[in-house]
Amino acid sequence: MSAQSLDQRDRPTGYLPEGADINRNIAVRRLRGAIWHAIFVSSLIIGLLALATLIYTIVNDTFGYIAVQTKVDPEELTGGRPLEELSKEELIEILRANVSAGLFRRFDRDEPFSERSRESVLQLVEERVVGREVVAVYKLTESLLERERIEATVRERFPRAKLEFHSWLNRDFLTRPMSSVPILAGVGNAILGSLWVIAITMLLAIPIGILGGVYLEEYASDTWYYRLIETNINNLAGVPSIIYGILGLAVFVRAFESFTSGAMFGVTDSNGRTILSAGLTMALLVLPLMIINAREAIRAVPQSIRQASYGLGATKWQTVWHHVLPNALPGILTGTILSVSRAMGETAPLIVIGASTFIVFFPDSVFDKFTVIPIQIYNWTSQPGAQFRSIAAAAIIVLLVTLLALNATAILLRNRLRRSY
Amino acid sequence: MATTEFSSINTLQSNGKYAVEVHNAYIYYGTFRAVNNVSLKIERQRITAFIGPSGCGKSTVLRAINRMNDLIPGSRFEGKILFHGKNIYDPDVDPVEVRRRIGMVFQKPNPFPKSIYENIMFGPRINGWRGTKQQADELVERALRGAAIWDEVKDKLHQPGTALSGGQQQRLCIARALAVQPEVILMDEPCSSLDPISTLKIEELMFELRQNYTIVIVTHNMQQAARVSDYTAFFLMNESRAGELIEYGPTTQIFQNPQDERTENYISGRFG
Amino acid sequence: MEQEARVAVERSTPLSISPINLRGKPRFGENVIEIIVFVCGAISIFTTTAIVIVLFQEAWLFFGSPEVDLAEFFGTTTWQPETGRFGIWPLMTSTLITSIIALIVAVPLGLGAAIYLSEYASPQARGYLKPILEVLAGVPTVVYGYFALTFVTPVILQGLLGKENVEIYNMLSAGLTMGIMILPLVASMSEDALSAVPRALREGAYGLGATRLETSLRIVVPAAMSGILAAVIVAMSRAVGETMIVALAAGAGPRFTFNPLQAAETMTGHIARISGGDISYASIQYTSIFAIALVLFFMTLLLNLLSGWVASRFREVYE
Repeated sequence: MSAQSLDQRDRPTGYLPEGADINRNIAVRRLRGAIWHAIFVSSLIIGLLALATLIYTIVNDTFGYIAVQTKVDPEELTGGRPLEELSKEELIEILRANVSAGLFRRFDRDEPFSERSRESVLQLVEERVVGREVVAVYKLTESLLERERIEATVRERFPRAKLEFHSWLNRDFLTRPMSSVPILAGVGNAILGSLWVIAITMLLAIPIGILGGVYLEEYASDTWYYRLIETNINNLAGVPSIIYGILGLAVFVRAFESFTSGAMFGVTDSNGRTILSAGLTMALLVLPLMIINAREAIRAVPQSIRQASYGLGATKWQTVWHHVLPNALPGILTGTILSVSRAMGETAPLIVIGASTFIVFFPDSVFDKFTVIPIQIYNWTSQPGAQFRSIAAAAIIVLLVTLLALNATAILLRNRLRRSY
Repeated sequence: MATTEFSSINTLQSNGKYAVEVHNAYIYYGTFRAVNNVSLKIERQRITAFIGPSGCGKSTVLRAINRMNDLIPGSRFEGKILFHGKNIYDPDVDPVEVRRRIGMVFQKPNPFPKSIYENIMFGPRINGWRGTKQQADELVERALRGAAIWDEVKDKLHQPGTALSGGQQQRLCIARALAVQPEVILMDEPCSSLDPISTLKIEELMFELRQNYTIVIVTHNMQQAARVSDYTAFFLMNESRAGELIEYGPTTQIFQNPQDERTENYISGRFG
Repeated sequence: MEQEARVAVERSTPLSISPINLRGKPRFGENVIEIIVFVCGAISIFTTTAIVIVLFQEAWLFFGSPEVDLAEFFGTTTWQPETGRFGIWPLMTSTLITSIIALIVAVPLGLGAAIYLSEYASPQARGYLKPILEVLAGVPTVVYGYFALTFVTPVILQGLLGKENVEIYNMLSAGLTMGIMILPLVASMSEDALSAVPRALREGAYGLGATRLETSLRIVVPAAMSGILAAVIVAMSRAVGETMIVALAAGAGPRFTFNPLQAAETMTGHIARISGGDISYASIQYTSIFAIALVLFFMTLLLNLLSGWVASRFREVYE
């Protein structure tokens, strides 16, 4: 191309920068690029910052100083031995000696002493006899940074109280049942409740989910009802979880009450708001995910394996059972774990079905009333007071650690699976 | 990056017989040497073809000329490539500058999922083009005429570029490259995904473009190289799988009187 | 001799001449199994049918009862069951406002993060950033509700706007927190859409002298637009259906207001609150939940269908 004049505004095709203008043009574009790069990175950072803040808030509430005082010195009751060392029978005796007979009978009615765990009786003793109560709560950052101020305040306002560093997440917290006094409360029965509900959920969702996936991938041909089922499942995956709760309420809690309450099996004192209803409802909720996931896992199995099996004269089910499913198992396992972690974190449907917010016994049958960890978190978070916030935070840590462990396992499995192909 | 004193590749003044000079080019992907000590000079306003069996570095060398290899993580260039006497791999040269001057057409046509009009105008706009709508229309027409596709698309400028046939898409990509007024056009096997008739049209186009542009084409098709190019460079892989330049010269000489035995073997179809 | 010969012949006879049952009666078993797997797949139909029947049935009762009037339901702006006023708009506006706030947070941030991950980040960076985003996505919503109530509201209260201006329960905190919850969803779906854009398009842009920003914003993002739009619509659907964050942080009483600093109960929050209490199955409270749930169901269904339609209708044909 021959040299052209630098004045090109009259050029019929407009003006492209030439000469030194090019450098300026590029400098401007690079600058704009750098600015937007910073903006994109910030978006990511804001998300990460939110996560960090979330974790910080939770940890901040879980650990810190508390000022504790008791009505009665526990040592006086036990003759010098710490309460933790007493056996369940000794604790029952202390309780019987120190509360009214009517109250004692009521405790027995709620849950017979013979069936209660030691922690449960200890909790009652601490609540009713010892009168342990927390009068002031401080967050972790406060506790670490403003120690003297806290000590001075407590000494002044609560002379009888002892200031101690407390982790609201401790062994007692994990083993004790609910209590209306935060310092004495625990997620013991909530953990068990979660386990019971999830057991029922997965007992139903795993086989039905896998077989449903098998149907869609191996058996179905492209007919109108196949496409209907497929669209249906994809839509169900997007339905808000509370709607499943409503479904469970109307169908399992109400319509099938004789089944879910156990009435048809002879259980007399319950209604439809049982572990069984919860499990059934969550199974319906989790099912679309299981099916979608099973489909993907089955689809990933190479056709060559199937063809080898058919070529030897195997029937379709034999091929599926002996070849497709075993090969799809890692993927299905990953999906199962993800479904479990989804089921563990769901709260809204269980509220609608009627999870109990205050039960003190540990479940021992599917026809029992139930509570799960997220419900406790919800319950405690909505109550006013710093102490309830603290135990909510402790419960959150329990839940998140469990979920993290589950998800980490799922990711590890998924990576292991990818490598083998 | 850009300096206050502008790098000399931004002058329009063309100087010398050679548009691009490659001096001792070594190209690495990570620790793997893909190209081993290639040197050649591309003559201005001529068509130069790179031929050779697959994997012997022809495309790699081509893509080094407009610094497209920079986009591949782990790739490294050693040596010099001179454009207007300035080494384009100097630290003060921004690849963006290079690519406006040295355009590229790819193996598989890749029109943007935009209208034909917008496909053409994209390059000028991002390079700081300014002008009226009328001037834009004029630019689009000239680019499409330059690629010998104007008559076929002049009534559907606002239809998507992806709606054209394969051969038309490739000519659209050529028009797109022309719109930013490059001096050199690199073509990486531009006809390998096209039917023979489209291929012929593009070869005819290349002859026309030769008057105003320097063209470097990588091709698997020896007959195409023989038909179309003025100069041919023959590449081969050595024992360590690095590409080397075996022979380079006027096309007539390479095809009728090759100096190297390996060239002769390839030409006569004994391998490749 | 003859017997030996016969045995020898039998042994050399190929198995395929007579159909041999290898495991009992596979044909019959196969049919049974086919029915079983079909039923498993079709249970989803049962779920949907059940949802539709249940919602319609109870909503029918609701709309049929004397205190309720369809025009009032969709026309008025007071929801006060005690006085027999059943206008859905307070709950609806709260739902919409919180969802829109959530989108305002989630879409720009999520898209920005997606562009960064897809166009700028190195493979190693992407390798540990994507899992972190997935962690964010896996946090149960009740935890976000806790976060909204214990951090977002006090920080907005005291930090920026002052206690007098911001109620303890307000739509803004709930909306912002929902936005953070939805962010990973938008980022993840958008990143999938952006990654699906063929490399050849990017090369074409770079070949014309484009910078990375110009390639990303002018070529890649427009090409992925259908997927990105689908992601936004799905995010909206999630926000509309979300319960725990709004139940904990947005407020416990229906109120018709456009001021995000005020408390106003959403549709989902209302359902959760009412059903969490003691209600008799025959009461109008009970049936009212179903009416609200019906509206909610239709809203999310429409959004989900719209998302799928957008994704397929406007999917760019790259070749």
